[in-house]
Amino acid sequence: MRHISFRWLAASSAAVVAAGLAGWAGAATRPRYGGTLRVEVRNPGDSADPPRIGFGMADLTGSFAIAQWDAGRQAVYEASETAVGGRPYLDRVEVELGRPLREQSIDLELGKADVVELGPNELRRPAAGRRVWPSAPVRVVALVFDPRVEDARVREALSLAVDRGAIHRVLLQQQGEISGALLPQWLTGYAFLFAATADIARARALVSGMPAAARSLTLAADDAALRPVAERIALSARDAGLAVTVGSGAADVRLAEIRIVSTDPARALGVVAAALGANPPARAASPEALYAAEKAMLEGFRVVPLFHLPEVYGVSPKVKGGPGVSPLGEWRFEGLWLEGGRP
Amino acid sequence: MIAAVKGWLAGPAALLFFVPAAATAAQDPSGAVRELARKTAAFAGKGDAVAVTCRNLSSELPAALAELCGAFGAALRDAGLRTGEPGAVEAHLTLSEDQSQYLLVEEARRGEDRQVWIASWKRAAAASRSPAGVTLDKRRVWEQDEPILDVAVTDSAMLVLDPSKLAAYARAEGSAAQWEPRGSAPLAPPKSWPRDPRGRLRITGANFQAFLPGMVCTGTLDAAASMQCRAADEPWLLESGDALLLANFAPARNYFDGRVVTQAGLRKTVAPFYSAAAVEDQGRTFWLLAALDGRTQIVDASLEAAGAIPGWGSDIAGVDAHCGAGPLAMATRASGADEPDAVQAFAVANGAAAPLAEPVAFAGPVTALWPAGAGSALAVERNLKTGKYAAYLLSVACGK
Repeated sequence: MRHISFRWLAASSAAVVAAGLAGWAGAATRPRYGGTLRVEVRNPGDSADPPRIGFGMADLTGSFAIAQWDAGRQAVYEASETAVGGRPYLDRVEVELGRPLREQSIDLELGKADVVELGPNELRRPAAGRRVWPSAPVRVVALVFDPRVEDARVREALSLAVDRGAIHRVLLQQQGEISGALLPQWLTGYAFLFAATADIARARALVSGMPAAARSLTLAADDAALRPVAERIALSARDAGLAVTVGSGAADVRLAEIRIVSTDPARALGVVAAALGANPPARAASPEALYAAEKAMLEGFRVVPLFHLPEVYGVSPKVKGGPGVSPLGEWRFEGLWLEGGRP
Repeated sequence: MIAAVKGWLAGPAALLFFVPAAATAAQDPSGAVRELARKTAAFAGKGDAVAVTCRNLSSELPAALAELCGAFGAALRDAGLRTGEPGAVEAHLTLSEDQSQYLLVEEARRGEDRQVWIASWKRAAAASRSPAGVTLDKRRVWEQDEPILDVAVTDSAMLVLDPSKLAAYARAEGSAAQWEPRGSAPLAPPKSWPRDPRGRLRITGANFQAFLPGMVCTGTLDAAASMQCRAADEPWLLESGDALLLANFAPARNYFDGRVVTQAGLRKTVAPFYSAAAVEDQGRTFWLLAALDGRTQIVDASLEAAGAIPGWGSDIAGVDAHCGAGPLAMATRASGADEPDAVQAFAVANGAAAPLAEPVAFAGPVTALWPAGAGSALAVERNLKTGKYAAYLLSVACGK
């Protein structure tokens, strides 16, 4: 038997050992099997069955199988041994449903959740150790006018009155992008062609001379989280001579959110058109044709795109193997594992 | 003739662009420039002055835009227009991009008349872009897009194992570094591979074995393409210098399940582990087992626990260095899956690890580390920049 030579042992001086190991503390580097990922979402999940289409839980199908559906409370998914690409590393994904954003954020900080949704308010508050997984900007926030608002000058005036910059800076915490396009720049490359700047003077000129009734609009936000944005729009509108009242239910104009569902720009535009109740655009074979189709949809100011926002998730440091969301915002949890999970 | 976008295509930025041999308009940057210049000329009228401005909204370097802009101006002049002065026509050129192509967008204005034209061309895929007197030499032996599970190299042949195939290569005549393909054998897993597939090649003389999750393949080096594979839960043979260990691989996982047999015939179940290496400490052989909890367990020849080493990564390999001492262990670091990794050589003395050489850095995580014959190990890196997988031989050099 050989002995380790003096020369080798000489190298094991405390200093050398310290230098060699100092940066090496941590866990094993290979993905680890086992463990339960705890996810919280705002989605109330009050349907009788678990979602099979759309984004989020539906994305788990294939890699995980639903094991428990407690409508409005909790969904439990278990790893599928026959998943394409191999069994997921995680054993289970538990999704707590209908959790308000603020409570999600607190649960993440307290270690009660591993993946939560983050809104602008939550992003504003720094949290030690929290990581963030953003998707590409996939949520189109737009003003959508009711057909009863017939005067195009009023619609254009409101579109020119919106101070997108201020809303983006303050209310949205600079998430996503300001835009005048339906499809985001990352998807088409031409979104910058659509104007998105405010012009109060021109807005005022458009509606000057109109009777007060014609300059009054009601505005509703589809999502309560967008209500502060609606209120800020109402404020800007006043400078342009419009009287906008923020309410709920049927309104002259609503602040809508439309989801980009495809990385194929032509298909994405078709789905956006359907969501807006517009005629589907002809299939565009070139960027120029697609631009023309989108431009046509925006003519007349029936729809006024304002922002493209990402889905943003806060993630516990013990979740490895991410990001667990695709650029389109799909959940990709099959490749995640947990530090401290057990086989 | 209008100017082609030659400089750009010849420069580093050109790596991002694919220019087909018979490129037509809007299939490459030059075509896009020509297309837009032609439309601008029709819009402006002969002899008009066109004021051109350019901006970049793409991930390309500013030099790329400058070149496009220059070529566009030249194309306009070739078409009989004047540039470089205020004109009745304004042409705003924007280099932009979507997920699959570059866009050259022109907004042309003459008075109240505004036209938008968009020319585009496909993007190419991302650019195939010491203490103790011991040093580790790192030499790249192979690179490919697909994950590499293991590479075995002899004087004349090389086998590359990846999740879809085993590829055989022969050394090119007169070249130590060039390899010529000698066929490949597809791999059909009995079930789907696990998410983090692993594989091990073992060459003995003219024959080889390939161990894969739930499958074993055998063949000869001169006819590797006709290897035979069978579904089997046979233990993998783990070598470490002169030491051998038979270990059962958990077929749907990425680790050994802990059932092992030593050279002396001792069967035992230890804690599951990712990789193993044998070392000597004071004349006794010890196995190091990289356990799932991030610690490396030290077990003696009877597989009884004898200590633990914290802070190593999941992959370790035993190498007989012949540097006047016993075998040493190479270990990855405990870095994240998307961080640059490093491999360092260690000796084990009195149950503690002592580094023997400076760490060898990699441009991404090390996804495999296996012994590779006398004094060397094979490390596979996933390059974080290029996304490619590269196999390196890490050889211990004594006395440096």
